[in-house]
Order: sequence, then structure tokens, then C-alpha cells
Amino acid sequence: MGVKPGAALDRTLAALADPHRRQVVDLLRERPRRAGELAEATGLRPPAMSRHLRTLRQSGLIEESHPEFDARVRIYSLRPEPMANLKLWLEETEKLWSAQLLAFKAHLEGDG
Amino acid sequence: MSSRILVALRVPATPARAFQAFTAEIGRWWRPNQLFQFTRRPAGTLAFEPGEGGRFTETAADGEVFEIGRITAWQPGARLAFTWRQASFAPDQVTKVDIRFEAVGSETRVTVEHRGWETVPQEHVARHTFPDAVFLQRHGEWWQALLASLRSRLA
Repeated sequence: MGVKPGAALDRTLAALADPHRRQVVDLLRERPRRAGELAEATGLRPPAMSRHLRTLRQSGLIEESHPEFDARVRIYSLRPEPMANLKLWLEETEKLWSAQLLAFKAHLEGDG
Repeated sequence: MSSRILVALRVPATPARAFQAFTAEIGRWWRPNQLFQFTRRPAGTLAFEPGEGGRFTETAADGEVFEIGRITAWQPGARLAFTWRQASFAPDQVTKVDIRFEAVGSETRVTVEHRGWETVPQEHVARHTFPDAVFLQRHGEWWQALLASLRSRLA
């Protein structure tokens, strides 16, 4: 956290204002990818792709990592959003208990 | 952001019978859930040790016992509360479940409140507990929704 939600949203919107960057986010939604793959998929030259990736990284939308076997290779992926994870858990917890209560009810209905 | 969930259902039993079935017979009605597995082992049988301070456990087929939590309120026919930890949580992280039994005519409304998920670092839990495919899929859905709303704002 530490960043005001409004400021974070502004950065997110600015980063996504560019169609190539939106395309990158769309591609990363499927799976993490290397910079080279992203350049190829979008038809951009590697230096242009590097600039877009830097902007996306600074906005906090994506993160960079290296595979264990090769520190020179950079892999980009979407960054998990902390609140989204919490929301996800709450939704799943609600589903869990709804299902358990239905099972409990069915159990009681089986009472002779 | 509120981090509690509330779910209620009416069941065909008196509050006393519902409480008894909920606690003593949980091993017979609980359905194991892949996302909420307590340990990495195959799901076992759940049980409550009656009374405040009693343990809430899952016993695996090989007899090994995992303590999910402790009972913090035991009021037969009225209320049951206990703590809930999954093996993937850090030792000081815990969530709390509170269950109320209220008569509605000849039936009972069972209300479940589960809170405390904000005490568990979400990135940790999501990455360690959600099966990867499910996590990635749900995460993808979230991004899809975010992008759709951004697109409509930018349009």
C-alpha cells in the first residue's frame, strides 16, 4: 500500500491509455511472457517494447522476474492486486459455507 | 474493506437438534472443498471436542490429526464459535467462525459468520493455497473485468 488509491488509479489509467500497452496486458493475462515474445506478438521493435514495459512496471501493473536457470532472461507477468486477492477469498469463503449449509440441511432432512 | 462473510440457511430441525447435528455429526455432512483443504494431505474427517476450549480437528485416513482450531463458544442450541487455520497459514494467523442457531417457527435459521481473512497475507495464501490453475483463472477474470471497465471509461 502506501500509495493513495486515487494516485494509483491515475497511474494505472495513464499506463493503459496506450493501445500497445493494453495489448501487452491482454497477452499477460493468459500467461507470463518474455519481452521478445511480447515484441513479436505486438509487432513492435524491442527498444519500443522495452519502453512500454518500463512504463507498465512503474505503474505497478506488471512485474519482472528471471527464470532460475538464466538470470539474463526477463519474464513479465501481471502483478497480483492485494485487494483483489482478499475479495477472491471472501467470495470463495461465502461459496464454501453456502455449500456446507446445503449439505447440512440435506443431512437433517435425512433424519427419520 | 469488510473482511467477513455472512451466510444463512433455514434447516428443518429445532435449534437443539441442529446444534447437535452440526457438532456431533459434522464428520457425516461436511463436504471437503479443494480450495479450503486444511492440509496438503487428502481430506479427512472433521470433529469437534465438545465444550469451550475443545479442539476442532481433521483426522486423515492414516490417523494423523490436524488441529484446525479451538472452540471459543459452546452454547448448545444457540451458538458455536471456533478458530480456523489452514496448514498453509503462518503460526500467528487465524480466522474466526461464529455460528448462530435461532428458532424460526418449527425450524432453525443457521447463520455462519467467517471473519479475519485480512489477517492472512493475501498474496501468500492465494499463491500457496489456491491450486495454481484456479488462482490464475480467477486472477485472469479479475483483470478482464478491470480492463473492461477501464475500456468503457476510456472510450
